[in-house]
Amino acid sequence: MKSSHRPELSHTLSLNIPFENERQAEIAVNALSPDPILKPQDFHIIYTKNASDLSILFSAVDDRVLRVGVSSIIESVKTVIETIDELQ
Amino acid sequence: MSQLSAVYRAPDVELKEFQIDASKQHYNTTNGATTGPSAYVLQAGQIDVDKPSEGRKNAQGEFTYLSKLRMHLTGLQDDLNEYLTQRMEQAKNKKLKQADEARIKAEIENLLDGGDDEDDEQ
Repeated sequence: MKSSHRPELSHTLSLNIPFENERQAEIAVNALSPDPILKPQDFHIIYTKNASDLSILFSAVDDRVLRVGVSSIIESVKTVIETIDELQ
Repeated sequence: MSQLSAVYRAPDVELKEFQIDASKQHYNTTNGATTGPSAYVLQAGQIDVDKPSEGRKNAQGEFTYLSKLRMHLTGLQDDLNEYLTQRMEQAKNKKLKQADEARIKAEIENLLDGGDDEDDEQ
């Protein structure tokens, strides 16, 4: 697994989301990755597609920043999942 | 197929794993406990227009794979929010305790150094 590129972002969360197939995981990465990070000095995200799995590594300066960032991205992931579910 | 899961790490926490237990109701709803408006706001009459939709069902009346994934993710999101909020509270209490200890220490040192003389002069 890739580690945070900045040692000061010492609070990390690795999230693994298993989609039905590789195409869905790819759609999720493409939909999520363009979103800009508001405070890149405090929070960092790495999206990785591994077959049908979407792996997201969050790195933050503290638990507060991590909680806000992770919950926000999970909301976006849920929207992506719901959209794929409705359209297929 | 792999499982939905999360792993947390921090300088004082080597590893904390989060797994899904699909038998629990907590992981079988699209309505998260830590997301959406607070109970206070809802009791005041606010209508939650952003309420997440129910999971989609197939012809057999079963939830689709993606609907289950969304429900499991909602439960995992609650777990993460609760855990990180607890950690934030601990960090806050620790900071307050340290500030209190530093203040007491400074007051004691001030007294031992004869700092009370300054007060007498005023």
